[in-house]
Amino acid sequence: MVNIFLKDDNIKVKVSNGKTLREIAIKTGASMEFGCRVGDCLTCVAHVTSGMDLLNDKNYKEDRALEILNDPSTDLRLMCQCSVEGDEGEIEISYKL
Amino acid sequence: MLDKITKISHSVNFIGVFDPQIRTFDIIMKTANGSSYNSYLVRGSEGIAIMDTVKKEFSQDFFNRLELLCDYEEIKYIVLHHLEPDHSGALIELMQRAPEAKLIISARAVMMLKGLIKDDIYFEVANTGKKISLGDKTIEFLSTPFLHWPDTMSSYLHEEKILFSGDVFGSHYYDERLFDDKVGDFAYAFKYYYDHIMRPFKQYVLQALKLYEKFEIDTIAPLHGPILRSNPQHYIDKYAKWSSDIKFRKHEFGKKMLSVFYMSSYDNTQKMAQKVMEGADSIDGIVASMYDLASLDESNMIDLLEESDAVIIGSPTINGDAVKPAWDLLSCMAYLESAGKVGATFGSYGWTGEAPEMLHDRMRWLKFRLPISPLKIKLIPTDEELQSCFLFGVEVAEITMGKMMEMEI
Repeated sequence: MVNIFLKDDNIKVKVSNGKTLREIAIKTGASMEFGCRVGDCLTCVAHVTSGMDLLNDKNYKEDRALEILNDPSTDLRLMCQCSVEGDEGEIEISYKL
Repeated sequence: MLDKITKISHSVNFIGVFDPQIRTFDIIMKTANGSSYNSYLVRGSEGIAIMDTVKKEFSQDFFNRLELLCDYEEIKYIVLHHLEPDHSGALIELMQRAPEAKLIISARAVMMLKGLIKDDIYFEVANTGKKISLGDKTIEFLSTPFLHWPDTMSSYLHEEKILFSGDVFGSHYYDERLFDDKVGDFAYAFKYYYDHIMRPFKQYVLQALKLYEKFEIDTIAPLHGPILRSNPQHYIDKYAKWSSDIKFRKHEFGKKMLSVFYMSSYDNTQKMAQKVMEGADSIDGIVASMYDLASLDESNMIDLLEESDAVIIGSPTINGDAVKPAWDLLSCMAYLESAGKVGATFGSYGWTGEAPEMLHDRMRWLKFRLPISPLKIKLIPTDEELQSCFLFGVEVAEITMGKMMEMEI
């Protein structure tokens, strides 16, 4: 199981490989905002402050959207495009602007 | 003559249109005073910027005004502060008439543009800090998202200290006298607009106001209603107050508000509510209150929900459903920001007992944090069951006070 700490809501959740961040947000009731859910609108952009290697690689939609955003931070991901890939470790996410 | 009437500063003209007859806007807003779709023309020594367009059916009025003031070849930029159709309705035609003009939109508008306008259009993205030059005039952009569309941005004309605020500071208020110091009393329309459009996005209002602070503002040019030039700070202060009232209250008392809303047909759900409230109130830092949904009207519901850090709803099950006032309560969240509030549901039932689960599901979609499963009790609660209600209240209150929520999914 991977431990995810959703910093802004003080939620710790253990999840199994393959779970999407969208599902995790719904099930925990985390205050992560989602808009289009298909990687277009940038509503769900968040900082993955640790454990980036435990998430899936960015797809072309995410790359394109983050390029448009042009934010210098290197830890940004679109939560609607992320899922857990791994069996053990810690991920920390912050989604308040 | 038109030029004179619509001049709002040395180099800026109003080229918007009036919609005096509109009575319902965007399905949900009542517009007793009609409205306007404001658009502005900024003239510099090396070209012109058009700030937003208008609703499609008013395009002809818009182009008539524009043509009195410039040739299409002079237009260097078209700026859309957000892409809502009441401001982007004349965009395509304007781009056809002014093919050399560059379209400026925010990063979040990029994909929306494709959704609204099915053709490929060339555009430039403006993030906070981007500037465009019209020779002797400079326009700087500010990213002010979610006000009230995700892609909203604002801009500032440095030389004339004009803030183009998008829908922020707007009013649905038709009055051709145009300026806040000339039109009738639009205070009601200004507040109504805030309540229905901006209130769910308070934290973003506060972020935008922080960005605006960096600029000296002589005039606010919003996209609906009067142009605010007599005392712009007055309107900024109003927005700041309305967006931070609740926070001040909490800080003042240093407490978190937990509200138990319930409805009961045979006192059973009420007895549960009482114990849930007592349990919650036993936790330091929580002020717990109970409200019978039978006696709350919508505006009370909205205010109470807004003030509450935690919302617990109790409903009996009648004909396989929660009672209507409980759904009415949750429908009020359309006016508010729910993300991050803690939620929980309970209820007594006689037969099927779906109500707490149904309300729980609805609250999940409204982005409440729901740390514990719904609590259901068959008919009259026993002393032991009432104790479980007390502990239910304790648990929700502790999470509200910051106790770590731990779960496995």
